[in-house]
Amino acid sequence: MVQKVYQVHEIQQALELLHQHTHQAKLLAGGTDLIIKMREGHVNPAVLIDISSMDKTRIIEVQGQEIHIGSTATFSEIQEHPLFQKDLGAIAAAARSVGSPQIRNRATIGGNICNASPAADLLPPLLAMEAMTVLRSKETSRLLPLSDFLVGKEKTALKSEEMLERVWFRKLEDRSGLGFSKLGIRNALAIARLSMAVYLKLDATGRCLEARVASGALGLTAQRENEVEAFLQQQVIDETIIDQAAQVLEKTTAQRLAGRSTLPFKRQAVQGVFRDALSQALKTSLRREQS
Amino acid sequence: MKKKGKGIGCTFYGTGYGNGFPDVSRSIAQLERDGSVTVYVGATEVGQGAKTVLSQIAAEVMALPLSGIHFVCENTDETPDAGTAAASRQTYNTGNAIKRTAELLLKEMKVTAARHWGVSTPGRISMDSGKLVHPENAAATLSYREVAMIKGQELLRVEDSFTAMTTRLDDETGQGNPYWPYTFNVYGVEVEVDTDTGKVSVVKAVCAQDVGRAVNPKLIEGQMDGGFAMGLGYALMEDVNLQQGHMKHDRYSNYLIPTAMDLPDLEKIIVEAPESTAPFGAKGIGEPVMLGVAPAILNAIYDAVGVRMTEIPVTPDRLLVALKQHEGKEGI
Repeated sequence: MVQKVYQVHEIQQALELLHQHTHQAKLLAGGTDLIIKMREGHVNPAVLIDISSMDKTRIIEVQGQEIHIGSTATFSEIQEHPLFQKDLGAIAAAARSVGSPQIRNRATIGGNICNASPAADLLPPLLAMEAMTVLRSKETSRLLPLSDFLVGKEKTALKSEEMLERVWFRKLEDRSGLGFSKLGIRNALAIARLSMAVYLKLDATGRCLEARVASGALGLTAQRENEVEAFLQQQVIDETIIDQAAQVLEKTTAQRLAGRSTLPFKRQAVQGVFRDALSQALKTSLRREQS
Repeated sequence: MKKKGKGIGCTFYGTGYGNGFPDVSRSIAQLERDGSVTVYVGATEVGQGAKTVLSQIAAEVMALPLSGIHFVCENTDETPDAGTAAASRQTYNTGNAIKRTAELLLKEMKVTAARHWGVSTPGRISMDSGKLVHPENAAATLSYREVAMIKGQELLRVEDSFTAMTTRLDDETGQGNPYWPYTFNVYGVEVEVDTDTGKVSVVKAVCAQDVGRAVNPKLIEGQMDGGFAMGLGYALMEDVNLQQGHMKHDRYSNYLIPTAMDLPDLEKIIVEAPESTAPFGAKGIGEPVMLGVAPAILNAIYDAVGVRMTEIPVTPDRLLVALKQHEGKEGI
């Protein structure tokens, strides 16, 4: 039973309450995951700290070479932000693929990250951009790569007195691009059966300097796919290489999902979703070379 | 790779409960003092447009504008039973009951007028723009309001019914008349199959629906759009996921139905071939408009990729696995 609900406007107030109540408290932002879990009895916090009116963590802004997104920024705000309309359109696309407009108006990036569903739509593009999480508590603040923050199915490295303040990642450099692809049963209001984000950085000759591939719903947590990344390194990305890379990913999938009923489907589908994300990333990288 | 294919699905559908089961609709019509008519009928409006279409049928018989008909339904205290809003039967069955009841009311009004005029032939009284016309003197007319005034305190109120003409099939000979009338329908669709992910998108669709007579074309188009969406969901998404008697997909977050984002514009063709036993020729189409969708989609998938799916819904996982098996057989 919820005993108390606090509405806070400043992060310090939220951190103070978290410090007092620690594991008995839950942060409430959009509520699109938490309220459902509470109704179904999966979580039973005694204290709710409503941070949906906390405007200072709602920022989406450029700081030098970095893009910072505050944890209470909503999917709608991310989807519509000018920063994500062109070369980083994959981030807007991932945000747009979540739920319905009503859900996107409420749900926040912080909730998507901290809920840590294996199918969370923003996680693959953020992982591919090597996003850093900024974690605050009353006393301290620490920085953790998103890939270390996600530790398992709906499990994170967040401590009970901490909150996620924001995430940040570096802007796209020249000759680099990001792609996102999601496979759902329908075209809206669908949870990802599979999703993938690909970041590419090419050299002047079109060779791949760096590839970062992140998957969703292909294991217990959204994650980087190191084997296919290593394979793409130093390659000129053409049809043959794409085919071979897809096979590497199939092998990874077969090992990871061995014995699961979804394997026969996912080992095939992962290749299609990967190709789609990769071709978008490639297109953006080449365009950013010309401009 | 994306592959396109086309398919059609044709169906015929028997209206009503059928097989000799008592399929009865009853209704009451009452002439009000202001000359308007109230229809009491236990037909249920479930969004299909029963109130509109059944009011139109009464208005047509009474030669009144729609605003001259008061329609009372879904109230068991006031209305006689007209059966369920099921089996696509309300337009046909209850439409017939209302038509007969309205015709009976009109007949009684003519009897009243004949008595007032002192003529012995009420059947020869004609109707002109909402008025009863004297059989020998066209200048002498009575409005419905005047007919009601002649009746005084007593309201003119009649009840009638309609029973569908079906018989049970003979177990020995297989002879009989299990349904009447039948409705015919064809869907044509074009799909795009993503052979990398198994995802099927319906990119184009057309529906030709026999309606007997289109009492309300807009409502028919609405039913076609709705039936198409339901049929598409049935073919591609909707799965209760029954496991040992338990429905695993027991909520709309996992029991998926299509959204507007999954539906192409449906081209709608209304085919009018009046049915002689139907009210003004009109038949119901509630169920028929969804029946041909799944067969058409499955045929189109076969046309696109050569895989004959025999289980629905054709979700990406099922189709992709079948596709890879098929490619394996062909040695690709």
